[in-house]
Amino acid sequence: MLNFSHNLKLAVKSLRLGDWLIVAGSLIAIVYLFQILWSSEHATKVQIRLGDKVYATYTLNQQRDVHVHGPIGNAVISIAHGKARFSKSPCHNQYCVHQGWLTRAGQAAICLPNQISLELIGENKPYDSLNY
Amino acid sequence: MKRTKIQTTADDHRIAKLAAFAIALHMIEAVIPSPIPGVKPGIANIVTLYVLTQYGFATAAWVSILRVFASSLLLGQFLSPTFALSLGGAVLSLMMLWLAMHLPKKYFSIVSLSILAAFAHIAGQLMIVRLWLIPHASVSYLIPIFAIAALFFGLINGLITAKLIYNKASNKPEMPPL
Amino acid sequence: MISPRFHYTASRLRSKLRFMITLLLLILLGLAIFGLNAYNKEPLYHSQSYVFGTLVDISIYGEPDARASILSNQILQDFQSLHHQLHAWKPTSENQTSELGALNHAFSQGKASVSISPQLAEMLTDATNFSVKSHGLFNPAIGHLINTWGFQRDEFGAVNIDDDKIKALVKSKPSMTDIVIKNNNAYSNNVSVKLDLGGYAKGYALDMAADYLRKQQVKNALINIGGNIVALGQHGKNPWRVGIQHPRQPSAIATLDLPDGWAIGSSGDYQRYFILNGKRYCHIIDPRTGYPVQHTQAVTVLISPQAHAGVLSDVASKPIFIEAAENKAQAAATFGIENWMVIDQKSNFLVSKAMAQKLHWLDTNVKFFTQP
Repeated sequence: MLNFSHNLKLAVKSLRLGDWLIVAGSLIAIVYLFQILWSSEHATKVQIRLGDKVYATYTLNQQRDVHVHGPIGNAVISIAHGKARFSKSPCHNQYCVHQGWLTRAGQAAICLPNQISLELIGENKPYDSLNY
Repeated sequence: MKRTKIQTTADDHRIAKLAAFAIALHMIEAVIPSPIPGVKPGIANIVTLYVLTQYGFATAAWVSILRVFASSLLLGQFLSPTFALSLGGAVLSLMMLWLAMHLPKKYFSIVSLSILAAFAHIAGQLMIVRLWLIPHASVSYLIPIFAIAALFFGLINGLITAKLIYNKASNKPEMPPL
Repeated sequence: MISPRFHYTASRLRSKLRFMITLLLLILLGLAIFGLNAYNKEPLYHSQSYVFGTLVDISIYGEPDARASILSNQILQDFQSLHHQLHAWKPTSENQTSELGALNHAFSQGKASVSISPQLAEMLTDATNFSVKSHGLFNPAIGHLINTWGFQRDEFGAVNIDDDKIKALVKSKPSMTDIVIKNNNAYSNNVSVKLDLGGYAKGYALDMAADYLRKQQVKNALINIGGNIVALGQHGKNPWRVGIQHPRQPSAIATLDLPDGWAIGSSGDYQRYFILNGKRYCHIIDPRTGYPVQHTQAVTVLISPQAHAGVLSDVASKPIFIEAAENKAQAAATFGIENWMVIDQKSNFLVSKAMAQKLHWLDTNVKFFTQP
């Protein structure tokens, strides 16, 4: 432990002015990267609601199919690399399936007959509610 | 039957030895699972940095590229996506090192070079991912995570390299420290 | 005495220290930014439910979750009973039709007068005023036409288009002015009148919910019934922000701030429709022709604070939707609406000048025309 802290002291001492500037600059750049890339646009999760309850929330960073049993039957929701969609639904009009892939935070697909909804969630919601 | 002997120079031997060392480090890292996929300390880069300070850029480039090819062959990943990622990272970090070499040594130690190379390495890998492996934007939110890792491991690797150079310099006072 | 050597190291140490402090501050700053973003949980209650055959989405800000949940459940219950009262085609139970269903049945039988609730009487009077104002383009009396097109069903599909029947229904001229209401009794002068309050009830429910929350001293809430939204107060330090749905893509085209008392509503050919022989037939029917409107994809109206802003947000978009392009601005002016947006069948955007200043486009490639 003494050796480690001694080494650390030596290491810190060996850093020159420019090294410190680079470390500080990198930190600023990282903070900036977080600010722009983790803001509203980028969805990280998909929230699935069934009726008035949140059924489940999944990270978008995976590939899987989720089966949800709604009032009129089984719906399949696909998640793949940052996107999500209804891929199968027992509803008559298939509006939900026709919505296709959702990619951005705030995007939503609703299956009214089967009372299932998908919503992509990012760090910040771009809006509180959707007018349609 | 007459055997022809390939003529090798001392330089070749040195490159081979150093590359072997880098390959060993690369292999060790490849078998240790990483808690975050895609985030690795990149300890083999210590060898590249060390070689750069001791033998110059050309040798460092040789060692680095040789390490990428040989490791992927040994791990059975030659021409696989993993290999492409490795190569992309190595090429971009070498380009960065070539530029960063020219920074005034009075203010910038090997630690600066290490951090800059780590950022270039991750940038190269992300470019491969974006252009070839997963050509849509959904990886971009991982960039800040990778950047933190690059800064952290770049700093650590740089400090380790600095220590190695310091040790070498104290044993052989005729070699000037970087 | 301080030796020069010591002096030198001390100053070097000091400069190192300065860098360390700068570095630490930067790290702390970074952590603070993320910390605030990630862990500062807002006093925001949010619920979603299916009532009215549509999605009801209620946000309440600044109330304890428990209270917000009780309030929103009360609103949902009120919606549910309003839904049963006004449902145009579904019986509430096996033998009992809705109040509106009973009235429609009486209308079809001739001039027999039926007793109705004061609430329904008030709604019908109000809807009649709007219908007259819109020169009959907003016409809740065309239930038979809507039924012919198959939209009075939970699960509708393409229908066989019966031109003769449609012509006959248009010719019979069902109108809100055919209905006579006296002392909470109603009858119709025209047997072809069949009420469908699909374009009115959601707005009425919005006003009902907003009034209820105001009475309960709730300062900040956002209520969304099937896309029609009314705002109370704001979301913390900022106004409530709503997104406007793209009629052909699963995303919002623009956002705008909805200040206290404002309401927003849309009519679109993407809400209820079927496709037959490559043609889209939506649920919005031109009462003059009896056919679904096919020249417009969507109309959005923004309603300034006023009594019954919710109803206006529901009703006012319909005449604008139905009118031909050259008359749309006039149709908006009839209802005193300054903020509106029209998307036509070729995806051209026409935005009123006042509205253009309020919209924040999410798709920066959108080209739009403004109209004063």
